[in-house]
Amino acid sequence: MMARLSAPLALALAALAYFIPAVSGGAPVVYAACTTIAILAVMAYGADLILSYLGEVSLGHTIFWATGGYAASMLAVNYGWNGWATAAAAIVAAVVLACVLGLVTLRTREFVFSLVTYAAAVVAMEVAFNWSFLGGSDGIVGVPPLVLTIFGWGVSGAANTDLWPIAWLLLMATLLFIHRFRRSRLGTSALMVQMNPDLATALGVDARRVRLAVFVTSAPISALAGWLYAYQRAYVGPDMFESYFLVLMLTAIVIIGRRLLLGPLIGTALIIVQQTFFSIGGDGDKIILGAVLAAILLLWPKGLIGLWDVAARRLRSSA
Amino acid sequence: MNLTQQVINGLVLGSGYALVAIGWTVLLGAARLVNFAHGQLYMLAAFLAWAAMQKLGVSYFVAVPLSVLALGLLGVALQGMMQRLVMQQNLTSLMIVTLGFGYVIQGSAARIFGGDPQTFASPLEKASVHLGELWFTWQDVVTLVGTLLLFGVLWLVLNRTRLGALVRSVAEDPKLAQLFGINAAQVYIGVFVFECAAVALGAGLVAPRSPILASMGFDEVILTFVVVVLGGIGSVGGSLLAGFGLGMFTALFGALVSPAYTTAAAFLVLLTVLVVRPGGLAAR
Repeated sequence: MMARLSAPLALALAALAYFIPAVSGGAPVVYAACTTIAILAVMAYGADLILSYLGEVSLGHTIFWATGGYAASMLAVNYGWNGWATAAAAIVAAVVLACVLGLVTLRTREFVFSLVTYAAAVVAMEVAFNWSFLGGSDGIVGVPPLVLTIFGWGVSGAANTDLWPIAWLLLMATLLFIHRFRRSRLGTSALMVQMNPDLATALGVDARRVRLAVFVTSAPISALAGWLYAYQRAYVGPDMFESYFLVLMLTAIVIIGRRLLLGPLIGTALIIVQQTFFSIGGDGDKIILGAVLAAILLLWPKGLIGLWDVAARRLRSSA
Repeated sequence: MNLTQQVINGLVLGSGYALVAIGWTVLLGAARLVNFAHGQLYMLAAFLAWAAMQKLGVSYFVAVPLSVLALGLLGVALQGMMQRLVMQQNLTSLMIVTLGFGYVIQGSAARIFGGDPQTFASPLEKASVHLGELWFTWQDVVTLVGTLLLFGVLWLVLNRTRLGALVRSVAEDPKLAQLFGINAAQVYIGVFVFECAAVALGAGLVAPRSPILASMGFDEVILTFVVVVLGGIGSVGGSLLAGFGLGMFTALFGALVSPAYTTAAAFLVLLTVLVVRPGGLAAR
């Protein structure tokens, strides 16, 4: 979608997005919702890389999401590291974990891959829950305000109004990265491995290496989202492994349609707007989220964009 | 620690794992469908039996068959919705759909049955047997014998009857089976209904061991993952062996090393096996 838009238009849209919370009244709840949408969308983009371009379902991306959160909170609380240092640590930790998990699952496909990534997430949660080094079941409380400075100029703060510029920047950087990834050699090889593995092999693409590379590339994206989430909540605990985040990222990806640059962002925005402004209680929201996820795939497996195609075809044939 | 007692515990645990896993094994083998709502179906079955005992006042022995029947009907409805994707063998979408179903079931159960833990009591749980230092309940005996019986019957049906041949042919190659006039859609429905009914039976026999919670979902049956994959995808005998092996492992690991990390240890075993043998232990 974005590929057809010119760069200046994309920049203008990005700049416009920055002023969305201010234009919508600037109330704290609006800033909170926008920041949350940006953070969770970045989290979803990590899983999107696997689902859209490799065609596999990773149920283990909550691990990387939590890794980012734990890295930020532990280093900031225990050692007083600044934002840049904790972000770097979050990336390194996620890459290391993704290498291990990627190598273990290298030979697995389809549901075995999903089962094993899910199993890994369960193990990680059990470890986080029981290991006092990671705060155990209480988690880590009192994460200090985020401090990010560059050449003396910088942002610091813990309120959502302070965090919004950073969340916006992180989201824009992620979008740019995904845009570049789609046109990169790795991105096209990944699609080829998904669509026609035999052809990919015949053209000299090493499918396993591509799968591992995409998996390792995706992990730091979700980790950076978790990193910012730790500062937003000032608390990190084993609840970052909850299936809520897993179901949310999958729903955000499929709701509009896979392999669309802005798909996961719009999907996340729809979900969070519903849960923030039109909530019908925690359990009710669960029913909505799960039902939307199932209904979209059962009725329009291509996502809502598939509905658009159908409508466009009808219009054309009637005209 | 009494080793014989731990072996008994392992057998009891293992028969529970195998029983809860069996529906899933058959479903995976025949339809290549991973049902991520498995845990929520287990939870729902336990709560339905509990509600039947509390609200209708029926006995445990009526409540469990009622919940098996209800889950079987739910299975028809769920499979009906998924039929198109199953016939296309769109496995990626199906996995995500079942995750969505699970989330809906969990949210609905929390709304209907509340968020508090409940006691799903079986009269057999209170009747215990003491042999010297050894101890077990009649519930354990029924679970063990029931599991062995169910596996025996299932093995006979799958390998020695025409119905079993239908299921196996669809599992092997659905398109070819359809060319031979086999109604693959009906086989898929039958298999999914069996999965739902089997997990309900598993819940009826295993869930009374501990308090039931609407949020227990997948974590409660998470070890069936290990059983299904370790036993080899779709292998009935393999899952029985894997179930008992895992039961022994959890009982001994919990008693000797650390109860808190049992699940993590079981998964590490699974990960190791998958690195060495990606097809599971039963793979040729």
